[in-house]
Amino acid sequence: MTAPLGAIHLPPLHERFLDNGARVIAAERPGVPLVAVRLVVSAGAALDPAQGHGLAHLVAQVARRGTARRSGRFIDDRIESLGSELGTGADEDATYFGLSAPAEFLPELLDVVVDVVTGPTFPAPEWGRIRRREIASLAHLLDEPGAVADRAMLDAVYRGHPYGHPTDGRARHLASLRRGDALAFHRRWYTPAATTLVVVGALEPERALDLARRKLGRWRAAEGPPPPTVPAAPHAPRAVLVVDKPDVTQTQVRIATPALARASAEYFPALVANAVFGGGFTSRLMEAVRVNRGLSYGVRSRFAMSRSAGIFLESSFTKLETTADLVEVLLEEAERFSEAGPDEEELRRAQAYLAGLFPLSLETHDQVAEKLADVALYGIALEEVTRYRERVHQVTAAECREVACRYFPLERGVIVAVGPARRIASALARFGPVTVVKARSVL
Amino acid sequence: MRPVPTLDLDSVVTADLPNGLRVRLLAERNTPTVSYYTFFQVGSRNERLGTTGISHLFEHMMFNGAARYGPKEFDRLLESRGGSSNAYTSNDVTAYYEDFASDALETVLDLESDRMRSLALTPETLEQERQVVKEERRLRTENSVFGLMEEQLEALVFLAHPYRWPVIGWMDDIDRITREDCQAFFRTYYAPGNAAIYAVGDLDPEAALAAIARAYGDIPTGPAPAPVAQGEPVQRGERRAVVRYPSQAPAVLVGWRGPPATSGDSAVLDVLQTALAVGESSRLRRRLIEAEELAVSVHVSWGWRIDPGVFLIFAELAPGVRPERFEPVLWEELDQIAARGLGKAELARAQRLLRSSVLHELATHNGVAHALGQAEALLGTWREAGRALEQYAAVGGRDVRRVTASYLDSAKRCLVTLEPEGLP
Repeated sequence: MTAPLGAIHLPPLHERFLDNGARVIAAERPGVPLVAVRLVVSAGAALDPAQGHGLAHLVAQVARRGTARRSGRFIDDRIESLGSELGTGADEDATYFGLSAPAEFLPELLDVVVDVVTGPTFPAPEWGRIRRREIASLAHLLDEPGAVADRAMLDAVYRGHPYGHPTDGRARHLASLRRGDALAFHRRWYTPAATTLVVVGALEPERALDLARRKLGRWRAAEGPPPPTVPAAPHAPRAVLVVDKPDVTQTQVRIATPALARASAEYFPALVANAVFGGGFTSRLMEAVRVNRGLSYGVRSRFAMSRSAGIFLESSFTKLETTADLVEVLLEEAERFSEAGPDEEELRRAQAYLAGLFPLSLETHDQVAEKLADVALYGIALEEVTRYRERVHQVTAAECREVACRYFPLERGVIVAVGPARRIASALARFGPVTVVKARSVL
Repeated sequence: MRPVPTLDLDSVVTADLPNGLRVRLLAERNTPTVSYYTFFQVGSRNERLGTTGISHLFEHMMFNGAARYGPKEFDRLLESRGGSSNAYTSNDVTAYYEDFASDALETVLDLESDRMRSLALTPETLEQERQVVKEERRLRTENSVFGLMEEQLEALVFLAHPYRWPVIGWMDDIDRITREDCQAFFRTYYAPGNAAIYAVGDLDPEAALAAIARAYGDIPTGPAPAPVAQGEPVQRGERRAVVRYPSQAPAVLVGWRGPPATSGDSAVLDVLQTALAVGESSRLRRRLIEAEELAVSVHVSWGWRIDPGVFLIFAELAPGVRPERFEPVLWEELDQIAARGLGKAELARAQRLLRSSVLHELATHNGVAHALGQAEALLGTWREAGRALEQYAAVGGRDVRRVTASYLDSAKRCLVTLEPEGLP
C-alpha cells in the first residue's frame, strides 16, 4: 500500500495588491472555456450585532438588489442573459460573491460584481422584501429536522460566542433590523483592504489583473478600526439538549465540542484523525453505527474550522427507539479512539485516501478559485495546498491520538437530539443533565 | 456553437465483450485521477409490487462482500489505494462509481469484477442493510415534507407504470424482500449483458481495455430481463391529493407526464424548466417570489427517463398564503407560455444557462463518465453524451409553446398540496 506523495500542481498564480489595498489573484487553466470569479470580503456573521443575527447574510442578499448605476432586476437580467448566475452568501468569517461564465463575458460580469460589492444602495422596497422572504424561509426550515439540529448545536456549543448563531439569522432579529443597519454594516466592513478577488480559468492572467485593477482600483472606502478579535470557543461540562419536535419518527443527533481554528498547526493531524474516525465509508463510526448495528443510514464526524475558532462534531440519526443507543456508540467510539488512536493499517488507509482524492478537490476552475480564496482568507501558506500529500503522510498515530484527546467529546461536549421529547428525553438523562426546548426556539 | 472541448467523442475507445459487457474508455489527462462507472440497466421500473425497492436495497448489498474480497473490504482496499466509491439507484438505472488516483485502476477492476462475478448475499448482511434502508426511508421520505409529497405525486401521475412507486420502495416491501428475491435479481440484472463500464481520466485506453477483458471476461452472461409493463392509461382530468402534516407553511407540488428521454421534446422541456425557474430573472421566481411574494422558493424539474417521466413544479408558499391563491397565478403563467411561447431574450437566456450547466457537468472526469453512461442507458448510445448542447441551441420559441401546450395541459395535471395541521 502506497499513498500518492507527489506535489500538487497549481497553475502559475499572478497576484497583485492594488493601491487601495485590495488583493487580486489570477490563474489560467486549460479545460472548459469558462472563467470562475470569486470575490471575498472578510466580514461575516461573527460581526453581526448582538440583537441583529443575520445582518451579514441580509447584506449579502440585498447588495445585489440595486446600486447607483443598476437596478436589482437589471443586474439579474444582465448576468443571467450571459449564461451565468451570481451566488452571494455569508459564513461566520466572510461574505462571498461568485459566478462562473463563458470567458468572453468576463469584463462585463466583473463590472457588475464589483458594482454590487462596492456600491449597493439597499433600495428600501427590496430591503423589506428580502427580509420578509428570509423570515418566511426560516419557517420552512423548521420542517427539516437536520437543519434544526445543526442550528441548536451551534448555539449550544458556542453559547454566546460570535460564531454561535446561524449565519442566516433568527426570525425575531431579522424582523428588528433596519435598512440603516445594512448601510452601516456595508460602510464599516466592506473595504478594499478586506477584499480579495480571484479569477481562474480560460483567461490571460496579466490582462485579467489589469481588468481587475480598472474595475476595483477606483474603490475608496474609509478604513475604520480593525474588527474585534474572536476568542476560542468556551468549554463547558457535558449536557444534553432535547429539541422537542413531536411529529417526527426519527431522531437527529449531534455531539459537539470546542476544537481548533483553521490555521492551526494541528490541521493535518486533525484531518487524518477525522478521516479514520468519521470521515469516509470505512470510518470507525460508519463501522460501529451502520455496519455493525444497522442504527443509521449515515454517520460522520468533522472538524468545522473557522478563522478564529472551531468545533469537532459527530452527526447521525436513528429511529426513536434507538436514540440512546446511538448516542452511546458515538461517545464510546470517541473514547476508544482517544485511548489507542488509529492502528497502522487505518492510518495508512486514511492517508492514502486523503492524498489520492485531493486532486479531485481542485478539478474545476471554481474549485481552484475557492481554494485560492480560502488560502487568502484564512492566512494559510500556499504550501499547505501544494505539499498537501506530503503533509498528510507525515502525520503519526500519536498525533492523531493527541488531537482526539484534546478535542473529542470525552466527558464534555453538548449532545443535541431533535425528536419527540416525551419519547426520547428520559433515555438520554444518563449522559448528562437534560434541557428540553421547543423546536421553534431555534428560530 | 463550439463543440465541448473536454468531450472528444471520437477518442472514446469502445468494445463489447463476448459475455455482453459494454466498455467505453476515454483518456483525459488534466488531473491524475480516473473516474470509473458501472451502469446496470435496472431501476425501480423493473420492479413489481411486493418487492418494490429491491433495486435500491440491492445497491446496498453490493458493498457487503464477494468471493475474493469479503465484507467491508471493498471500500477499505479502495481507500487504501487513494480512492472512494459511491452509488445511486434511480427509476431507470443503478450506477456505481469509483474516483481514484490513476495507479489504482487494477485494484478497481479486481474489486468491481469480483462483485459482479460472485456477490455474497448472506442473511446477516441482508438484515443489516434492510435496517439501514429503513432509516434512509425515514430520513428522506417520512420526515421530509418534499419526500412525503413526491411519493403522493408519482402515485397520482402513474396509475399503471412502475414509476408509480418510489425508488426506495414501500416500507412493507422493504421488510418483505427475501434473500431468494435478491439472488434472482442478481442473476438477471447484474449479469454482464445488462451492464456497461465507463472509465474517464488519466488512463491508457488500449491497456485498460485489455485489463478489463481479463478481469471480467469469464463472467457468464445471464437470462434476459423481463420487459417493463407499459400501458399507462390516458389521463382525462386533473388529479389531486392532500398531505396533512404539522408543517410550518403550505406547499404545492404539481406534475405532468412528459415524453420519454429519447423524444426531441425532452430538450425543449429543459429549456422551459430553465426559463421558468433557473435564476432570479426566471419567470416563476420573478412573479411568484419577487413580484407577488406568494412563495419563498420555486423549483422546476424535468427528469429524463427511459419511459415518459414527470415534469415537476414545487413551491414552498409564504406563511399565510393559501394554495387557492397561489394556483391561479401559476396557471396563468403557464397558459401564457402555451399561448405565446417565450420571448426572444428569455429563450436566449435559457439556452445560455443550459450551455453553461452542460459545460460544468463535463468539466470533471466523473461528470464525463456519468454523461456517457447516462446517455447510453437512457438514450441508447453514449454518442448522445453532450449532444443536448446542440439540441438546446436548436430550440425555437414555437417549440416551447407547443410542448407547454401539449404536456402542461390543465386536464393532465396532478397536484399535491401540503396542509399544515396541529400547529400550536
